[in-house]
Amino acid sequence: MSNQKEIKNLKSFSTAAERFEGAHVLCPGCAHSIIVREILNATNDNLVVSAATGCLEVCTAIYPHTSWDCSWIHIGFENASTAVAGAESMHKALKRKGRLDPNQKDPKFVAFGGDGATYDIGFQWISGCFERGHDMMYVCLDNEVYANTGGQRSSSTPIGASATTSPAGSTSYGEKKNKKDMLAIMAAHGAPYVAQVAPNKWKDMVKKIQTGFATEGPVFINAMSACTTEWKFPMHKTVEASDLAVDSLVFPLYEIINGTELNITYRPKNVIPVRDYLAFQPRFKHLFKPQYEYIIDEWQKRVDAKWDYLQRREEARV
Amino acid sequence: MNTKTIKEMGWDELVIGAALYSFEGDINYNVAEVLPEDRHYSETNSKMAYVGDWRVYKPVWNSELCIDCQNCWLYCPDTSIISRDKKMVGVDYDHCKGCGICVEVCPTNPKSLLMFAEQEKNEEALTQWPQKTKGE
Amino acid sequence: MNKKIMELDTVEVWDGNMAAAQAFRQADIDVVAAYPITPSTPTVENYAGFHANGFIDGEFVMVESEHAAMSACVGAAAAGGRVATATSSQGFALMIEVLYQASGMRLPITLMQVNRALAAPLNVNGDHSDMYLGRDSGWINICSFSPQEVYDMTLCSFKIGEHLDVRLPVIVNQDGFMCSHTAQNVNVLDDKTACDFVGAYKAVNSMLDFSKPVTHGVQTEENWHFEHKAKQHSALMGSTKVIDEVFAEFEQLTGRKYNRVETYKLEDAEVVIVALGTTYESAQIAADQMRNEGIKAGIIAPRVIRPFPLEELASALQNVKAIACMDRSAPGGTVGMLFNEVSGALFNTPARPVMSNIIYGLGGRDMTIAILCDIYRELDKDAKSGKRNGPLQRFVGVRGPELGFYNV
Repeated sequence: MSNQKEIKNLKSFSTAAERFEGAHVLCPGCAHSIIVREILNATNDNLVVSAATGCLEVCTAIYPHTSWDCSWIHIGFENASTAVAGAESMHKALKRKGRLDPNQKDPKFVAFGGDGATYDIGFQWISGCFERGHDMMYVCLDNEVYANTGGQRSSSTPIGASATTSPAGSTSYGEKKNKKDMLAIMAAHGAPYVAQVAPNKWKDMVKKIQTGFATEGPVFINAMSACTTEWKFPMHKTVEASDLAVDSLVFPLYEIINGTELNITYRPKNVIPVRDYLAFQPRFKHLFKPQYEYIIDEWQKRVDAKWDYLQRREEARV
Repeated sequence: MNTKTIKEMGWDELVIGAALYSFEGDINYNVAEVLPEDRHYSETNSKMAYVGDWRVYKPVWNSELCIDCQNCWLYCPDTSIISRDKKMVGVDYDHCKGCGICVEVCPTNPKSLLMFAEQEKNEEALTQWPQKTKGE
Repeated sequence: MNKKIMELDTVEVWDGNMAAAQAFRQADIDVVAAYPITPSTPTVENYAGFHANGFIDGEFVMVESEHAAMSACVGAAAAGGRVATATSSQGFALMIEVLYQASGMRLPITLMQVNRALAAPLNVNGDHSDMYLGRDSGWINICSFSPQEVYDMTLCSFKIGEHLDVRLPVIVNQDGFMCSHTAQNVNVLDDKTACDFVGAYKAVNSMLDFSKPVTHGVQTEENWHFEHKAKQHSALMGSTKVIDEVFAEFEQLTGRKYNRVETYKLEDAEVVIVALGTTYESAQIAADQMRNEGIKAGIIAPRVIRPFPLEELASALQNVKAIACMDRSAPGGTVGMLFNEVSGALFNTPARPVMSNIIYGLGGRDMTIAILCDIYRELDKDAKSGKRNGPLQRFVGVRGPELGFYNV
């Protein structure tokens, strides 16, 4: 267990010494950056960070500049998880062999990947890392498309979203497949802690990140990352998009401890209709045509059913 | 000592593996416990780079209205809202891309941050601040 | 050095996989991340056995695929310690993108490559198609022809790759089954001597060195990429100096002399076979038989295929009259790698031997001494007539009609 610094309120959080520098080339208004800042500012521990090929990696480590004030590695698209797993193994070996400074606190190992890297191409690698139980945190920055390459669909792309490889057209309403439930999958690996977070609920996020850092073993964090460029809302409305996502329960905030203890960590005072969440984003605008309105109804039903399921599991403690 | 900048270096002088150092030389402090102004950034840290020219509009900060809630600090994607000792200090115009999130999340009425055209002088902008709006 | 020492005889009977595993154990590796694939599996299994019996102080991680094995090796190497793994064929092919990433990031890693044919069709036996697949990956590439050489080259590989003037990953090849599963006498070093020879790991840009936070694996656009690839190539080319030094040091220690280009009876040879792997040793017996028949047969092998010893090969072959470059890999629509590279080496010299390309031994098809003798006799005809008596490229040892290409 590691002791994380106490963060009482936003004012005390703001005293964090930033380790994610500006002048990266992420889009103005990018939620990835907000999430990464919140995570890095939540701890003062030494960090070994990796990122999968994707927006975060490409925009923060483009020669000759790095935006990371900590050790950082990018190998490829699939293997951000395995990169830190390898580093974590090396740390174990060097510590055991007495080749590290005995006074130095153990660093935290954090891998970042987009939904493409996490849900699709890097899925096996993450599964392997979690099965082996490395002491690491994996953070999925979920913007529900392959944003870095122009917005192609991933298995995180929700039904009805128009992505460039599942575009809305005269005979199609966009993505047809339901979004994979990564939290359930990672919890089923026996991970001691998995959680869903959103950057607009910073206190919830920081609490979960600190819990993750204090947990021994593999931790999976799915971070909702509203993408102004691909979801096509104005760049200054990123926080509003995040608010709509969590308040409509499209993106519920909860955690699962040891695979069975599910805790809902945010219950909106006023639950917003899914329709309003969809209406906010031009990537869904075609769903408001009369022939596709039924999809919005199906959306609401799915979200309601998921919320019901989460509540029942929370109660049943299974 | 006349050291070359990275842009002047040939292939033989670059760090192997295209590796980039965040800081100059070795550091003997925990970066997380040292404020940016006390760190020794290397030229290859993006902190030393400039993206201010991305802006078309810029946020102007009105310190008299600001209540130091830190919302803007929290939500800036570009680490461009500077806060020290729980108090707002200002905007880092080298790194601000003008996304406008800070203005959106500012809770005061009138807002303590507003977007103005890039060419507008901040002192001018402050004289044009709107009054408190009713019914919000 | 690992705390628990294994007492060994001065001569052990090991197959190539055990030789590799023992060299790994003695080299005091910090992280081995591996995945099983025939015929390299026993290297990993032997190492697992050592680990389970307390002989390994480092980490041993069985990952979920070969791509993950190399990815974990890269992450571990960047974290700053000695790293190794083993694979073959399909596994090698699966990890190929990570090989390029490892060399581009200048991370010393040793890969024991037990050469096996690439599918399709699926085949677990020894040929060099996987060795050839990796030739452009930017790794130092060393071939061993017997279990003794596997042991020796593996120990050398760490010293070479980790040298501060090199900092590149190293592949050590051995023939699948023919070497990996064939037990022979191996003269071994005791644990301490072996470990001292390899030396302590030197960290460069280690991610666990928090006094110097470093970013590995950046993106370089068109204004930077060329410089870094040029630098990488320069280091690979310049590693010949370190390889020679390490081989010389090894000879001092053991009396066994290795060269970047190995030759057998080449000094006065008129007809020469170029071959890698276990074929080299078979060819030695064939060459001796030919000498008895009055044919001046010799052999040359680029033991270090990367960096390619272009100058040394060219200079050694100046007086040879006919050369058969024997490639043990499906040639994929052209002449084989050894043919290309040896011809290229000779082109800018006065020598104009009769050159031919022989494709052989695919999928573990045996290359016998008898066939090698026939090849020498053909070469002798070529040498005497001053021209080739057939197509440039011939498939030797395949059932069916004669198969040859390029009549130039």
